Amino acid sequence: MLADLKFRLRALFRRDAMERELHDELRFHLERETEKLVAAGVPRDEAERRARLAFGGVERIKDDARDARGISLVDTLTQDLRYAWRGLRARPGFTVGVVLTLALGIGANAAMFGIVDRMLFRAPAYLTAPDETHRVLQGYVWNTRDRTDANFAYARLVDVQRWTTSFDRVAGFGYREAAIGTGDQARDMIIATVSAGYFGFFDARPVLGRFFTADEDTPANPAPVAVLGHGYWQSIGAPADIVGTTLHVGPSVVTIIGVAPEGFIGTTDGAAPVAFIPLATMVASRGARYFENYQWSWLEILAKRRDGVTVATANADLTVAFQRSWNKERDADAGSYPDAAAARVTGSAVPVLESRGPNADANAKIVAWVMGVAVIVLLVACANVANLLLARAVSRRREIALRLALGVTRGRLLQQLLTESLLIAAMGGVAGLAVAHWGGRTLRALFLRQEDTSVVANDPRTLLFAGAITLAVALLTGLAPALHSLRDDVALSLKSGARDGGGGGTGSHARSRLRGALLLFQGALSVVLLVGAGLFVSSLRNVRSLRLGYDVEPVVHAQMNKRGVVLSTAEQNALVDRMLAAAREVLGVRSVTVASSVPFYSFEERGAPVVAGRDSLAKLGRYRLQVGNAEYFATTGTRILRGRGISVDDREGGQPVLVLSEAMAGALWPDRDALGEQLRIGDTKALFTVVGVAENVRGGSLQGEAEFWYYVPMEQYREHFGVLGPQLYARVNGNARDFAEPLRRRLQREMPGVSYVRTMPLANMVTPRQRSWSFGATMFAAFGGLALLLAAIGLYSMIAYSVAQRTHELGVRIALGAGARDVVRMVVGQGVGFAVAGVVIGTLIAVVAARWVQPLLFDQPARDPVIYAVVALVLLVVAVMATIRPAWRAARVDPTVALRAD
Amino acid sequence: MPDRLDLPQGTLDLLILKALSLGPQHGWAVSERIAQVSGAALQIPQGSLYPALHRLERRGWIEAEWGGWGASDANRRAKYYELTRAGRKQLAEETRAWSQLTSAVSLVLEMT
Repeated sequence: MLADLKFRLRALFRRDAMERELHDELRFHLERETEKLVAAGVPRDEAERRARLAFGGVERIKDDARDARGISLVDTLTQDLRYAWRGLRARPGFTVGVVLTLALGIGANAAMFGIVDRMLFRAPAYLTAPDETHRVLQGYVWNTRDRTDANFAYARLVDVQRWTTSFDRVAGFGYREAAIGTGDQARDMIIATVSAGYFGFFDARPVLGRFFTADEDTPANPAPVAVLGHGYWQSIGAPADIVGTTLHVGPSVVTIIGVAPEGFIGTTDGAAPVAFIPLATMVASRGARYFENYQWSWLEILAKRRDGVTVATANADLTVAFQRSWNKERDADAGSYPDAAAARVTGSAVPVLESRGPNADANAKIVAWVMGVAVIVLLVACANVANLLLARAVSRRREIALRLALGVTRGRLLQQLLTESLLIAAMGGVAGLAVAHWGGRTLRALFLRQEDTSVVANDPRTLLFAGAITLAVALLTGLAPALHSLRDDVALSLKSGARDGGGGGTGSHARSRLRGALLLFQGALSVVLLVGAGLFVSSLRNVRSLRLGYDVEPVVHAQMNKRGVVLSTAEQNALVDRMLAAAREVLGVRSVTVASSVPFYSFEERGAPVVAGRDSLAKLGRYRLQVGNAEYFATTGTRILRGRGISVDDREGGQPVLVLSEAMAGALWPDRDALGEQLRIGDTKALFTVVGVAENVRGGSLQGEAEFWYYVPMEQYREHFGVLGPQLYARVNGNARDFAEPLRRRLQREMPGVSYVRTMPLANMVTPRQRSWSFGATMFAAFGGLALLLAAIGLYSMIAYSVAQRTHELGVRIALGAGARDVVRMVVGQGVGFAVAGVVIGTLIAVVAARWVQPLLFDQPARDPVIYAVVALVLLVVAVMATIRPAWRAARVDPTVALRAD
Repeated sequence: MPDRLDLPQGTLDLLILKALSLGPQHGWAVSERIAQVSGAALQIPQGSLYPALHRLERRGWIEAEWGGWGASDANRRAKYYELTRAGRKQLAEETRAWSQLTSAVSLVLEMT
């Protein structure tokens, strides 16, 4: 073994020396032989001749000796690579086309893999036991509907910690925005609030200082300490003496006790947190009562199973704990709702990666689809390249037949052909990585919430994946053409001569059948992708054109973060009035209103309305309170359908009035017009009169039942509900994006103490909701277009090739009187035939797949015949366009030339 | 010159090993020695000799070393092959197998 290895290595690395030795050795032999003959009396010339003759071909012996040395694999590989490279260089057009095709396919896959990997497969950095670590969910039935909670109150975490036995550790964690810094520099950034035990899930050491301990995370001692995130520490210049300094986090000032290691962001797929602070510290900053009650659900639970405990056991354990906790909470509420058994409370341990859990968002599903789409594109690309290689193999038949006739073994030739496709695939792979690098950045920005600085080139998992698919591509594209080349009958190929194929060789029929099948496959997949693109584009259009019940583009939302600044009621009222006035001063602001509910962001709810003669109104749904001044409806663009909106006369002390959303009015008074009717809200004493009905708005979800909203005049809100929060909407002339910053600067001047204001276009809250459809539309359209282009190229090359192959036949036809039109019709008909078959197969696949796509679409049937028809038409038009040029060439075949060529 | 015999498959390695068991030799001498001993009945096809030598070397049964050749010319160097321990074992093994084979074949052929 060792001798073998030594020999091979020496052969490999000291090749020149070995070659020299071999040469010397053989020369020595010849000399001895010659001298023997000379000694026997043969003249020297004659002796040399005879020696050489007896010896045989020196070069062949050298070859055999090299083979015997066992390095031939490497040698022949380099030889093959050189040969393949020469061949590719000789046909740059072919090479560039093939490499680009593969680059797009491989690149799309590598880029998508990076995303899928991050969302679905890669465990959070530093996590010690990803398979045993779970997020904890609670399921229950409420108002006859199944619900799942992922967010819990501090008291619930304590119950789960106390009443489960299946886990080594149970910790709480929550990511939230908090103000970091002070004054004009203050910005909302992500912080992580975590149990002290949270760090125990990870194999991470702080790069500076320490993590906080259990003693610093108790209700009795909520220590004002923080561990900085590595990224944030870097962003402020990575000061080595940071430990011991203070940082303003939200309303609190905390002492920095350590810095987390690079890449440690905990269990989020969102942005890296600026700092980690103890759970107890966060709870204490809101008020000590939040240690006890179950109202404020804000943290998630992470738990690690003990060795040998199955997930099923852990689930049963969690269920018992959650039921006990549920009943404890219920007892405190005097049993106003069903107990745990009746509500079917369950607990479950789900994967730590959110996208893999049951509460994954639509993005995770779409991303899986898009990965599938990327694979399809790669398959189409492979089919295309295989087709081109097949065509090329045909033009190389004579060469291959010649080599076979000269005694090159088929195995050797196969190796050579595969080496060539491997070289092509490798070039495609490298170019694909470049595609993934540039395109991947865009993709990652689309899909990953996490800001992502990593590049493809230094991500070993993506590189490995790209390498694997490159190899697969080499085999997929190379094997069929190579095998087909070898199956040819040597004699026939040589005899059939320069005319490509003609009727020669049994392989040619099988080959054109294979090429046809590949083409059909491409066409069918293109149809599937284009149907997908059509469905998603249509969904996106539906989402975009959905009337939300308010205008998004021209509205800026501004909210004050008090950050612990205590204001009396009078001060706060005065501040809100000052903010309204200040906002109006900003150039371009048309109108300003207060607000208390913001779509897809936060809502004010005050319980169910009370209407004489109606009960159990709480069961109908959730009621969202919106506050506004006389400019509210002008500012948001919500239309008044009946009655009036809020007026300047709806003052404190006056008749309390409300405007209801149409859905709410209809739900409370299903049998008559709500105008003039009266109701109370929650436990307020005032009896409100309905003075207007506004169009429905969507603020909680884009799909599903209409939401209940009611609008309270600002001054009456202060009278009946309490102090009004410092939050407002401004409608601007133009795009809200351009006004967010000027508005913020102006409003900040009004802010007392360390409080600060933040402004955001309303679109920032709304458009993320449309994202999954815009991903779907973008990706399917891009990949579908790509697949169509590839299929068109494939069709073109196939038809062009077949025309070239049939030149003789066409010549005969023309000589016999076929008109140009007949020939064109015949050739185009061939292409269209492929397209029609592709459409049929693709449509079948799409119809079957429709079931699974349906839930991802918005108001769009997955089997919409219009879309199928459009796609079919597109494919047919493309097929005609791809064949028209070869058809034209066919029509102009000169019969005399074509016939003489034979 | 008597008729040359074709070498049965696989015997070339055995012959080379045997020739080398008498002491280190270069390739030419190996072929000469075999031809002499067999009374020129066995002529090693010269084209097969060197590939076989290299193959045996790769398997670790023989070792090669460059050495001076001839007293008169110090610059003439030849490649000398020498049996290794593994080669010696291999030779014993193959010799035994060969005698078994030939005696078995003889028995069959001498059937009356």
